[in-house]
Amino acid sequence: MASLGVNFPALIVIFISLVIGLLMVIVFGYTSDQKAIHIAKDQLKAHLLALRLFQDQIGVVLRSYARIVVATGTYLRLAFKPLLFVIVPITLLIVQVDRYLGLTPVQAGHAFLIKARLADDSILNDAALQLPEGLSATAPAVHVPAENEIAWRVVAARDGKFNVSIEAPNQKVSKSLVVGPGLPRLSEIRLRGRLWERLFVSAEPALPAGGTIESVEVQYPARDIAFAGLAWNWIWLFFVLSLIAGFIFKSILGIEI
Amino acid sequence: MSWRDVFRELRRAALVGAIAVVLLSPAIAHAYAGPGAGFAVLSSFWTLFVAFLYSIYAFFVWPFRQLFRLLRRRKAYGKAEIKRAVILGFDGMDPELTDRFIAEGRLPNLAKLREQGTFRKLRTTFPPISPVAWSTFMTGVNPGKHNIYDFLARDVASYLPYLSSAEIKGPRRTLKIGKYTIPLGGAQIKGMRKGIPFWHWLGDAGIFCSVIRVPVTFPPEKFPGVLLSGMCVPDLKGSQGTFCLCTTRPSGDKFREGGVRIPVERSGSVYRSYVPGPNDPLAGGSGEELRVKFEIVPDKSGKQARITVGSQSFTLKVGEYSEWIPVKFKAGVGFSAHGICRFFLKELSPEVEIYVTPVNIDPGRPDLPISHPLTYSIYLAKLLGPYATLGLAEDTWALNEHVLDDDAFLAQCYANHDDRERMLFDALDKTQQGLCACVFDTTDRVQHMFWRYLEDDHPAARDVPRDQRPEVIQELYSRMDRLIGRVMSQIDEKTLLMVVSDHGFKSFARCVNLNAWLHQNGYLALKPGKTESGDWFEDVDWSRTRAYTMGLNGVYVNVKGREREGIVDPAEVDALKYELRTKLNGLVDPASGRVGVTGVFDCDAVYAGPYVDNAPDLIIGYGDGFRASWDSVMGKVTSQIFEDNLKAWSGDHCIDPRLVPGILFCNRKIAEEKPAIVDVAPTILKLFGLPLPGHLDGKPWSVGPAVAQTS
Repeated sequence: MASLGVNFPALIVIFISLVIGLLMVIVFGYTSDQKAIHIAKDQLKAHLLALRLFQDQIGVVLRSYARIVVATGTYLRLAFKPLLFVIVPITLLIVQVDRYLGLTPVQAGHAFLIKARLADDSILNDAALQLPEGLSATAPAVHVPAENEIAWRVVAARDGKFNVSIEAPNQKVSKSLVVGPGLPRLSEIRLRGRLWERLFVSAEPALPAGGTIESVEVQYPARDIAFAGLAWNWIWLFFVLSLIAGFIFKSILGIEI
Repeated sequence: MSWRDVFRELRRAALVGAIAVVLLSPAIAHAYAGPGAGFAVLSSFWTLFVAFLYSIYAFFVWPFRQLFRLLRRRKAYGKAEIKRAVILGFDGMDPELTDRFIAEGRLPNLAKLREQGTFRKLRTTFPPISPVAWSTFMTGVNPGKHNIYDFLARDVASYLPYLSSAEIKGPRRTLKIGKYTIPLGGAQIKGMRKGIPFWHWLGDAGIFCSVIRVPVTFPPEKFPGVLLSGMCVPDLKGSQGTFCLCTTRPSGDKFREGGVRIPVERSGSVYRSYVPGPNDPLAGGSGEELRVKFEIVPDKSGKQARITVGSQSFTLKVGEYSEWIPVKFKAGVGFSAHGICRFFLKELSPEVEIYVTPVNIDPGRPDLPISHPLTYSIYLAKLLGPYATLGLAEDTWALNEHVLDDDAFLAQCYANHDDRERMLFDALDKTQQGLCACVFDTTDRVQHMFWRYLEDDHPAARDVPRDQRPEVIQELYSRMDRLIGRVMSQIDEKTLLMVVSDHGFKSFARCVNLNAWLHQNGYLALKPGKTESGDWFEDVDWSRTRAYTMGLNGVYVNVKGREREGIVDPAEVDALKYELRTKLNGLVDPASGRVGVTGVFDCDAVYAGPYVDNAPDLIIGYGDGFRASWDSVMGKVTSQIFEDNLKAWSGDHCIDPRLVPGILFCNRKIAEEKPAIVDVAPTILKLFGLPLPGHLDGKPWSVGPAVAQTS
């Protein structure tokens, strides 16, 4: 498969795009006012054609343009109603898929950063990183007082799943870390509070409230997916492929989008 | 504004706000929500982007285009007496009925037009048939110069008819692969009407024209303006309208013309039938018909049914029409024909019957050009929804054959009429300067089919008590009057408003079979042993036939060297024509004692021009109450010369043109006492300040200055 320019993550994205494309077209068909969308689209096309047909009459051209803007608003309003039905499940789904396809694990022998954000810059000197066997720091910690942040440059000697610990005054927290190949579920950051942000970017339990450590982050490299001779972020590939799938399925199912 | 409106507005604002949040919030927008939203955003952006680009382009080139137009328009608007001309064509509106209804107070807007401007009888053409008269209207010439003499013309090689206005043939080249014939290119369409419509002269001078449904404008010709073709546009089968009656009722009867009977098969609680379409283009003329299947599932009440056509389902009550339903006839990969039709549920118990209109060319996806530019019909379909495109869109045959009743026919007519009104008002909106011409057919069709209720003893209405006869024609005229009122409210005093009809109307109570007369008087011979012929002269002995008739008003001499089996020496033609004129003129109906033929006109006397050779040799002017019989029109010889007309088609105008002038209303004073339809084109050209082409037969009228409108 790799010789064809398609790898395993790409196959997963293609599969998800097809399934989501089909499901979303069906949901769109059931939750939208199909007749109103059809009429709104036709009105748009008519006003666009009017621009061409009556091009010598500037008054007609201006009125047509105004009608295009109004008709576009109507169409968007109608088309986004189904969005209200799918936005939550689709968002959660995409967040979950992003855990697997958005980032690539750290590679053994390659340096990466572990960052911790603390409550106060006065305690930066008291923070310490504790690494398990197989991981080692390659440089002294770097303090960024303006951000209340401390960063460590680390390298892994072998593949595996690790837990690193950060110790600060009155608190010690751990953070998962994955080294090696494959498609493991990755959590880039562990956060305190901030439920919405955690929902979208973290796959680990929240840090204890009231502590001095606000977040611990492992900087995984972004994953590029090779497809059609290009390197894609998975979400862009999903965007393009699901649109294509949606276009095909809407034609087959006779659903107006 | 009511509280309900306020809440609706608030709800809308909340929805728009929610959308804005979705669009503007990076976290959520990052989580792209599926292809529906993706399409919406992309296509909306694309639409606005294209519109924006085009607007920029339009703004930049507009001064240059205006300059160019100004140079061209100097000769037009420089001398123009009007800014805009609005011509409403009411096919068949009769001056005597109009006069009567004005007197009865039914037509206040026309009364106002008469008072402030002009009302005259408008002399029509020989013969007074719509395609002939409207061709003269648009070209300003007599039929000898525009070549249209009837709906039908005859082929001198076969004595068979063909459509006089347009010829449609298969593609020029085909590729034969086994049993398949692949068409290489589209159908060949040739317009038969000659002459140049006056809107071409206007367009060339830089005056914008919107022309809607003027008869005999198919195929549409290129000119600087927009045009939607009218009468003579075929249906998808290529006919002038073939309806179908899908029925479980067994019958071997065939409709004489205009329709087919299709069986409905029952399978449990589901009924199945099909809509017949055009012949398979891949079958190479073998006549294999394409079909679209549909299902009918009656509900338990027996008063309505669910109908499924392809991927579309809709519910119809008994006595109800569907909307226009798109139908796609698939011939093979890449070959399909797109049409639209309406379903009318006639009956669910004890039998199941459904009427389907002729399959019209889909204006949104036209397989044949029905407008100029091609996109104009698409524009109208997108703006207003699907609409009838068939030339004769009101299905008079279905009413004649009792497939539709009066109410169903009227519902169909007025649905088409409402579409036409919407087209007119859009054209008025888009044509603030220039010409806006629109022809309404409803006036013609309704009068044809309901004249029987205007008379005391029309043969077609003898079984309907007088007090139960609806005032259909009165309501028709009132409706047209209201339309005029709405148009008058939208025009200013620099706009000329003209309301014209191509002919008037009279009763059609008695049928005259001139072929029978010719036979009984020794001019037409049948083969030995025959007393009647079939359609289209089957069993006519041409070697002994000197004259024959087909179509509505024409008599042809069987001329040697012209007709395939002609026997009349060209030198004797004039004498024979004189003899026939003498004998036919004043022909009396023995049953009523009334004159059935009030005038017979020699083509050489009434026509002049390069196409006179294609004209009938004599034009028959039937008397009031008479018309060519249904059989005579179809080239059939019967034993009876006169007979009652029992069909719903009970009024007509294909008679002596002197008896059926049209109407002319104008919002300005017109000096001429006897204006003619041939004068309309030169009058409009003159009003826009254009020079008159030398070949025109019409003369421009003296049109007075604008009259201040009073409400």
